[in-house]
Amino acid sequence: MTLGLLAQAGDGVAPIDTPGVAWSALSPILVLIGGAIVLLVVGALAPRRSRIGWHAMLTVAVAGGTIAAVVPLWDRVHDDGPYSAVASAVGVDGFSLFVTVVIAVAVAIAALLTDGYLRREGLEGPEPYVLMLLSAAGAVMMASANDLIVMFLGLEIMSIAVYVLAGLHLRRRRSGEAAVKYFVLGSFSSAFFLYGVALVYGATGSTNLVRIARFLAANTLADQGLLIAGFALLLVGFGFKVAAVPFHSWTPDVYQGSPSPIVAFMASGVKAGGFAGLLRVFVATFGTYRLDWQPVVYGIAVLSLVVGAVLAVVQTDVKRMLAYSSINHAGFILIGVQAATDEGVTAALFYLAAYTFMVAGAFGVVTVVGRRGDGHHHLDDYQGLARRQPLLALVFAIFLLAQAGVPLTSGFLAKFYVVEAAIEARSFWLALVAMVSAVVSAFLYLRIVLVMYAGAGDGADTDPAAGRPRLAVPAAAAIALVVAVAATIGIGLVPDPLTRTARDATPELVAASD
Amino acid sequence: MILAATPISASWYLGLSALLFTVGAVGLLVRRNPLVMFMCVELMLNAVNLTFVTFARELDDVGGQVVVFFVLVVAAAEVVIGLGIIVGILRRRPGATADDLSLLKG
Amino acid sequence: MGQYLPILMLLVLAVVFAALSFFASRLLAPRRPTAAKSAPYECGIVPSREPPERFPVRFYLIAMIFIVFDIEIIFLYPYAVIHRELGGFGLVEMAVFVVAVFAAFVYLIANGALDWGPVKHLRRVDPRVSTSRTAATTVRRVGLEGREPETGEAA
Repeated sequence: MTLGLLAQAGDGVAPIDTPGVAWSALSPILVLIGGAIVLLVVGALAPRRSRIGWHAMLTVAVAGGTIAAVVPLWDRVHDDGPYSAVASAVGVDGFSLFVTVVIAVAVAIAALLTDGYLRREGLEGPEPYVLMLLSAAGAVMMASANDLIVMFLGLEIMSIAVYVLAGLHLRRRRSGEAAVKYFVLGSFSSAFFLYGVALVYGATGSTNLVRIARFLAANTLADQGLLIAGFALLLVGFGFKVAAVPFHSWTPDVYQGSPSPIVAFMASGVKAGGFAGLLRVFVATFGTYRLDWQPVVYGIAVLSLVVGAVLAVVQTDVKRMLAYSSINHAGFILIGVQAATDEGVTAALFYLAAYTFMVAGAFGVVTVVGRRGDGHHHLDDYQGLARRQPLLALVFAIFLLAQAGVPLTSGFLAKFYVVEAAIEARSFWLALVAMVSAVVSAFLYLRIVLVMYAGAGDGADTDPAAGRPRLAVPAAAAIALVVAVAATIGIGLVPDPLTRTARDATPELVAASD
Repeated sequence: MILAATPISASWYLGLSALLFTVGAVGLLVRRNPLVMFMCVELMLNAVNLTFVTFARELDDVGGQVVVFFVLVVAAAEVVIGLGIIVGILRRRPGATADDLSLLKG
Repeated sequence: MGQYLPILMLLVLAVVFAALSFFASRLLAPRRPTAAKSAPYECGIVPSREPPERFPVRFYLIAMIFIVFDIEIIFLYPYAVIHRELGGFGLVEMAVFVVAVFAAFVYLIANGALDWGPVKHLRRVDPRVSTSRTAATTVRRVGLEGREPETGEAA
């Protein structure tokens, strides 16, 4: 049918009005996808194993290239204001660029962690890096989409690549199981998201966010049912991706089963992509209807905060604990979304940036402690870690305390800004719930820290960990951990640059000038 | 000829697609065979396609029809990835159902 | 409508012919079954059970690759219909698209996903026959190949 329509439209050789493609506006995505394709082809033709780990190096270089591609765009946005390209399908604003950098950083850290992991497990090859880059490209696409379909494509590119990554360790049954669970629930939620897009399209007559926002601002719908149903379905789709509570059931299983460095990426990059889409669609586009969706997000935030904190405390597997804690963190970021103000967006972005380092670093330590087979994640495996490897334990403790929100770390400020935004938006109860849940989850982080530092008994004879071999920390992973620690503490001590940048990074929907 | 006399309005199509979507969603939650769960996802996506086409016709906008192309491709990519994962599991454990995937709990 | 009549006729004829020959052979052929005749094979070992389901994974692989490339074509058809109207813009866009698909193709070829036929990279079997290697152990080994132990936490 489309073919017929298109053919009729082009009777004779009247040229079709084609959109101009501003390649420069797409450069971060192009760098990521181009890097992935180069890595795929070269990796397929070169030997799979190499001593220097050039796969990871190239991935880090591509991530660096992405950040480098953002810089001129950021300057342009700063000077000339945000703009939109490719027939208003892609928006270039401070928001999309900020999230792009966060995602690129997540890719770089995860790639460094993956290198050592793949060597340890004997799984060397370019595929994990390629998939990670593609997934990041999808996440960036979500952050800069000005069209719901582009956002759907971004969501799918991001998710499909991560489904495979979850099942990366084919010989471990848990990894395969995590992949199946993630895949089934993920595609389930994608279908909901798509149905939401369809309903919004039906209600507003466009999938373009700019046009939807204009339409909603200019018209009052006689029958809002379709639109509200669309909101609900979109929220379900996003809720799954960011692991918010009624839609969180996959998170602990998938985080536990998937390879640890991949989880580092899932919890940082994928989550950033999901939240970027959520902010862009709900806060920026459906802002005029905020009274309709705010209460729902409020409820989801409260549930995530409470369930995440309470269930995390009763776990004994560290990966599951961190999974529940990531649900808890999703609740915190949702507070910023719920505020639906510029302060809220800024706080959410700050939180995402700070959280990326904390969680990627934490899972980096988990990767190292997991040892060959990636199976040593019980709390007991951390017993006396401080005595055996004080530095590693210290690093892990810093990440955990930062997640708990201890002052002088980035986590404290992240939580502070979010709660501040909630109070400014007059959501006092939400702020109260957030603070209580922060206290409850602090117990969880302290529990891990105590296990590491107290160990069992004092004598080496009673120490069950005494006979264990020293954990090898690969050089690449060490670099990633050092960077993450530096960032976590650095942001905590000198938050101004990041805060100022995040303040410049509110999403703005601008139609293409052409 | 009765059929021709009753106009089939857009809401019929929307209702049908909503029904198909529900069938898919319920099927995914009820069925235990990974492959069937998987077909349910496809059903859901195609139900959405029907919605898009209906709206595109109602709004007289080609955009909705173009979307269908993208959704088809995404669905194909999902099929391939899903089959790959499921085959990877079934190779090691023939006859596995979703209930057997119970290693991860807690 | 009239121009499609020959096609319709041909379709009907094809169906009628196929159905006729199918039923004719059933009706006309003499039918004297014996035990040996109705066995799956008239010689060789009588199968005692279904062969274990071991489709070569290659089939799935080919099917998946087919699906992907098949669907990519969806984008080429509309382009082919209106490539004149789209002009240089369409050409550039399609080039980008085709390059991306082609990269995946190179990856497939390089990994031997399309090497149909006997697998060349056989693992070299230790030629020294050990006493511990009997038919039974070999069968067991083959059966367990690639599976991880039930109790093991990890491979």
